[in-house]
Amino acid sequence: MMPGFVLFLISSLTLATVYALVALALNFEAGVDGLWDLGVVSFFAAGAYAYAILTVGPPDQMQVYRLGFGLPLWIGVIGAAGAGTLVAYLIGRASLHLKHVYYLITTFAFAEVIREVLTNERWLTNGTAGMYRMAQPFKSSFETNLYPLVLLLVMVAILVVVFIALNRVTKRPFGRALNALRENEDLAATAGMAPYRYHLRSAMIAGAVAGIAGACYVWFNTVIVPQQFTSSITFVAWTVIVVGGLGNNRGAVLGAFLLILTEDVLRLFDLSSTVAVRVASARVAVIGLILMAVLRWRPRGVLPEKRPRFSRSEALVPAEAPAQGLQQVGSGE
Amino acid sequence: MLETREVSKHFGGVKAVNGVSLMVEEYAIVGLIGPNGAGKTTLFSVISGALSLTSGRVSFEGADISGHRPWEIAEKGVVRTFQTPRGFPRMSVLENMLVFASERTTGFWKNLLAGGRLSAEERRNISRADEILSSVGLLDRRNVLVEELSAGELKLLEFARPLMAKPKMLLLDEPAAGVNPALLEHVVTYITQLRNNGLTFFIVDHNLGFIMDICDHLYVMADGELICSGAPDAVACDPNVIESYIGTKTETTV
Amino acid sequence: MENFVFGIVTGSIILLGAVGFSMTLNSDHFVNVAHGQMLLLGAYLALYFSKLTGNFALGAIISVIMTGALGMLFYAAVYRPIKTKGPLILLFTSVGLSYFIWGIVGAVSGSQTQAYEIPAVRAIRVFGTPLITSYELTIILVAVIFAVSLHLFFAKTRQGKLIRAVADNHDLARIRGINPLRRALYVWFIASGMAAMSGIFLGMISSIDLELGWKQILIILSATVLGGLGSTYGVMFAAILIGLSMELGILILPSHYRSAIAFAIIIIVLLVRPEGLKSVVPALRGRPVESDMESL
Ligand SMILES: Nc1ncnc2c1ncn2[C@@H]1O[C@H](COP(=O)(O)OP(=O)(O)OP(=O)(O)O)[C@@H](O)[C@H]1O
Ligand SMILES: [Mg+2]
Repeated sequence: MMPGFVLFLISSLTLATVYALVALALNFEAGVDGLWDLGVVSFFAAGAYAYAILTVGPPDQMQVYRLGFGLPLWIGVIGAAGAGTLVAYLIGRASLHLKHVYYLITTFAFAEVIREVLTNERWLTNGTAGMYRMAQPFKSSFETNLYPLVLLLVMVAILVVVFIALNRVTKRPFGRALNALRENEDLAATAGMAPYRYHLRSAMIAGAVAGIAGACYVWFNTVIVPQQFTSSITFVAWTVIVVGGLGNNRGAVLGAFLLILTEDVLRLFDLSSTVAVRVASARVAVIGLILMAVLRWRPRGVLPEKRPRFSRSEALVPAEAPAQGLQQVGSGE
Repeated sequence: MLETREVSKHFGGVKAVNGVSLMVEEYAIVGLIGPNGAGKTTLFSVISGALSLTSGRVSFEGADISGHRPWEIAEKGVVRTFQTPRGFPRMSVLENMLVFASERTTGFWKNLLAGGRLSAEERRNISRADEILSSVGLLDRRNVLVEELSAGELKLLEFARPLMAKPKMLLLDEPAAGVNPALLEHVVTYITQLRNNGLTFFIVDHNLGFIMDICDHLYVMADGELICSGAPDAVACDPNVIESYIGTKTETTV
Repeated sequence: MENFVFGIVTGSIILLGAVGFSMTLNSDHFVNVAHGQMLLLGAYLALYFSKLTGNFALGAIISVIMTGALGMLFYAAVYRPIKTKGPLILLFTSVGLSYFIWGIVGAVSGSQTQAYEIPAVRAIRVFGTPLITSYELTIILVAVIFAVSLHLFFAKTRQGKLIRAVADNHDLARIRGINPLRRALYVWFIASGMAAMSGIFLGMISSIDLELGWKQILIILSATVLGGLGSTYGVMFAAILIGLSMELGILILPSHYRSAIAFAIIIIVLLVRPEGLKSVVPALRGRPVESDMESL
């Protein structure tokens, strides 16, 4: 039997892993690419519900949902990634022709509409009563009291794989193209890049990763209700990547763990439930202060984005150009 | 090679470009001058697809490119630069070059699954970028962020970057502005050299000395319309040109 | 008919919130997410002060003034120092401020749903049918008064015209002898005070809870976008339109889709007619009107 605080730590870390995955997804579309997406929770919710609906068994007497395929778990995870990608594709198709503030508002609005649909279409989601007894990976192969640790390890493994994959793509020409579009879209277009196509792809990749995060979230909670998918998930993910360092994948992971730790330190103390509610609110206030402070004094985050340095190719002929002839000259306009 | 026929671009009531017909021959260096607000930049934007045309036709190598998107036009080999150089500010000079590499594999899956640290293609692109950077004297600055460059360096990068795309034709918007005389001389030789290697240039600038020096043919615009054209020395004498420059840009006229 | 009246009431409440939001948007060019929390703050301060003074109206007035003052304080202490760092930094600072306000209100008042202690009133009958309660009438009147007086201020007074004329141009403002800080502080005071009113009125017609600010900010955003960013009159019109469509829409759609209607409206507007709206505030997009490429 593991002591209480170890269990608590494991649970915190597991949740941090979920947030790290969402943050990595958001960072890819908003930090590496420059999409101001205020609706990542849409992809997350789509993944979670796709996983739930694919893997959950038929409803009991109390439940009203119609679907429930009882499929194997790995199909559920693939379905989650697929659903996230699909939702990202549909929202992207509809709104990617909008820029900045308009894109932000539209994605935000989409997220709210999706949540309302999840709340109200009870045949699909069982509404606010939710669905429970969700399938978890390797559940039957381990003792119950050891299982939280197993789940944590599974999720960390997923996080590591996703991190390596995204980081790899970030540093290669595809990621560089997204960076270029983020920095100066008009100029990138003159390099022969169709901005819309790249944006759509980066949103779909974010959708896939956030969808997988959604499946992980279901493993963590073992129940699924629409109230878990409010826009506060989006704001948390943004807070994480802004604090961690926009555009830096490491920053996204670090930010997620920092945030959950800040949140959970205070939970270690025994508190009566009325006080606990208030302390929970105060924690959010502290996070607000941290976010404001980082933006004010370290606007590029704790781990600012770094550019790769390439070593010189061959021994080049010494520059015949008058490099020393360069002067600081006004732009002349 | 490039031809515009009766091209117009109106912004509401402002006729920024109005019925401009001109031609740029292959392997030529053609200049475009005119006072501020004449519509030169707007014409470039229309040709490069950044702005839609109000009316008229643009063709490149005999094919109609009016209304094509900027990236399609760039793929065809026409690359423009911007009057106010900004580059990709938070990327290094070398990365700025690599973004424009003509051969680049940007597929997600290909990028994800390729092994190794640097692909052969990347290595080729880097050495090509280094060559170009060294020829404009920016090799030492290759790993510096573009936002940290001086205005002069930025201008040079603006000129070097599109070369990575192996274009057929470059539209340069004021490449000489803010470049000091010693360096300008170098730019002139470099442009001529590139032309001899098969590039075509269409250049807007206010620096008459530079334009006269380098161009085979010159167009003059004012108030959105072409007012005259011809060989540089002939055009310079035209009273129209003098008039359109008097009091407006005399200080930059060398 | 009932739904129609209620639509106007809802619209009036949105109007008070949205006009303030759009004033800060025009004056400082960023999406101030924390505006939603100013509604929350106003609603809770009114709750507190009406208990303290035993008089709801008095409590509400104190709350409006205090919220306005806090709005000025937040502007001066939080936003102004980072004004030059771009709209994204300002936007997420306002998210931070939202967390802060929300957290403090939650910590002080707890998470239970609360209601004002105001006497229940009967609807006033017109031709025998109950039409509107005195509270609802008050809400509509206040919204109308504010709409009209803002209009008069901007259209008729010298100060108002000047503010509008120099909205974007601080150098010009200085030349004309307008202190930009003072002007901004006025804007934030009025905007936050109106947010408080909007929050209090929401509480009067139903109840108040901690999620009020988050729920309302999206509806406010919808009205602002629908009205065309930057246009105060457009926003007023859009607020009423959204209020009406929310209340009338539930005659057709299941009633739990009430707020989804507002969001669906802005999605549709943005998807169908982005050009009509986006030409309005070039400064928000960080680049000149120039490029047609944006419509891709
Ligand atoms: N996006 C736009 N909207 C409205 N008017 C515009 C726009 N872009 C350019 N103009 C107007 O079109 C005219 C031509 O501008 P343009 O920038 O093409 O001139 P230019 O010849 O490049 O001038 P300069 O020598 O100063 O670079 C000007 O009157 C300008 O104000
Ligand atoms: Mg120009």
